[in-house]
Amino acid sequence: MRLISKRTLIAFFLPGALFMGVFLIYPIFKMAYDSLFVFDLTGVGEFVGFDNFIKAFTDESFLQPLKNTLMYIGIAVSVELVFGTIFALIFESNYKGSKVVRSLMMTPLMIAPLVAGLIWKLMLSAQFGIINQLLVNIGILENTSSILWLADERWALLSCCLADIWLTTPYMMLMILAGLQGLDGSMLEAARVDGANILQQVFSIKMPNIKPVLLTALSVRIIDAARTFDIVWAMTQGGPNGSSELLSTVIYKTLTRYNKVGYASAMAIIFIIVLVVFTLVIMQSLWNPKKKNA
Amino acid sequence: MENKKGIHTKVIAIISAVFTIFWLFPYLYLISSSFKPGSEVVSIPAKFFPKILSVENFIDLFERLPVLQYIGNSLFATLCSTVIAVVLGALAAYAIQRSGAKLAILLIVLVLCLKMIPTSSIAVPIYELITGMGLYDKKIGLIVVYAAINMPFVMWTMLGFYEGIPSTLDEAAYVDGASSLRTFISIILPICKPGIATASIFTLFLAWNDFLMSLLLTSTNAKTFTVGLSEFLSAYSMDLGPMCAGALIFSLPVIVLSLFAQRYIVQGMTAGAVKG
Repeated sequence: MRLISKRTLIAFFLPGALFMGVFLIYPIFKMAYDSLFVFDLTGVGEFVGFDNFIKAFTDESFLQPLKNTLMYIGIAVSVELVFGTIFALIFESNYKGSKVVRSLMMTPLMIAPLVAGLIWKLMLSAQFGIINQLLVNIGILENTSSILWLADERWALLSCCLADIWLTTPYMMLMILAGLQGLDGSMLEAARVDGANILQQVFSIKMPNIKPVLLTALSVRIIDAARTFDIVWAMTQGGPNGSSELLSTVIYKTLTRYNKVGYASAMAIIFIIVLVVFTLVIMQSLWNPKKKNA
Repeated sequence: MENKKGIHTKVIAIISAVFTIFWLFPYLYLISSSFKPGSEVVSIPAKFFPKILSVENFIDLFERLPVLQYIGNSLFATLCSTVIAVVLGALAAYAIQRSGAKLAILLIVLVLCLKMIPTSSIAVPIYELITGMGLYDKKIGLIVVYAAINMPFVMWTMLGFYEGIPSTLDEAAYVDGASSLRTFISIILPICKPGIATASIFTLFLAWNDFLMSLLLTSTNAKTFTVGLSEFLSAYSMDLGPMCAGALIFSLPVIVLSLFAQRYIVQGMTAGAVKG
């Protein structure tokens, strides 16, 4: 079946492969190698085997960001899922100008995560932040300093989640909408004729049938949420007291600020392995049924 | 019955519009803040609407940052890296897809895994690589890194498109005496135009919006606008006005582009997830 000569195949493949090999694959191998050492201030490494990994799994410096990352993913993705579904259901109907409205809803996706972080940092500031001002005006807060969104350990992580939710709920909405639009209308018609009310229509018919789309969207979002960096960096830089420290920020900090190359490399390797395994597991369950049909 | 549906649709239309405006509030706040006089941006108490419209912030922005230089750098790095990523990625994906070798499946899985790598984790090794190559603070350095980081996505998108093109098309061109490259350029690519468009747009967005890589790899020469913006972060409240103006200038082109390229964006995001 080989139409193209092997040489041409390799010629097509090599330039791209070279780029990715140098800048994506090599760094991973280097980190894997570095993770087995502990480096002192002069850059001399001492081989410590898997010590760095053991430290990661037993030390707060890794476990706390890990917990935070999991919480971040949990909160952000579930809220995005709920909002995305609600919006998708609302935006499903076609009417004059619906395309415009949908396009407008998509705009947060185009905004740089850093910019989103900046905007929310401005809005959530205690004294001159507009969010607190609005809450005071409505009467929920006593004064604008009642909640220090970004400076309070209890709220910092949630604040970052807020920005993330704002930024990517449109993505969830888009995916679910696409799924809903791909649904067979006759099913719904039959249900309507049978007298099903709105809730039944949504939960018994629409939801189960867009499962593949939901799963894909969820898995993509979970991985992207895990990798968040810009937003947290803009808003809290992981503080206060590590309450909003995610795996991505702690790895970066450990490398650049504390210069613990070996330890940071180990954390990075663990992080990457978890992401890759997660991806492969999801892909397996999504792809196999597809392949069987082909 | 007709009227009921009409009202039903109208209600939904109104609800959608309200939700949309509500959701866009943060961005509207950014726009409003940009046009406030500098001192009003962080007024106590905070207000939404400016008392007077002013372009002070924009003027201040241009005074504090070499805006044109930074935007120029962002633009240059974005465009060049996108071209490289799309060209090389499309070619490489074609080679994998058409090779029919068992190795191909492994490579496809590898491409998928590469897509999942968190940039912030490999950022430092990349920094060491780039400095080692002498490319620190050079636009080329940034271009090369952006191209490499975004290539897996391009490949992933194109792989899906190539799958939909039967190889009989390749065969026919071959029989007519066309070389592989000719076949690729004149026959396969035109069919894959949507795929190329999608891949290009996403790569453009990712490179334009990037922050961390630019932070690490550039200094005064090749600095991009995102890093410039981030410098307002640690600043005093007086600088938040220019920051808003800058954020607005930076995000507007992307939003305008996205409104025109809606179709490709939707396609790129839903590709492979929805049947048909």
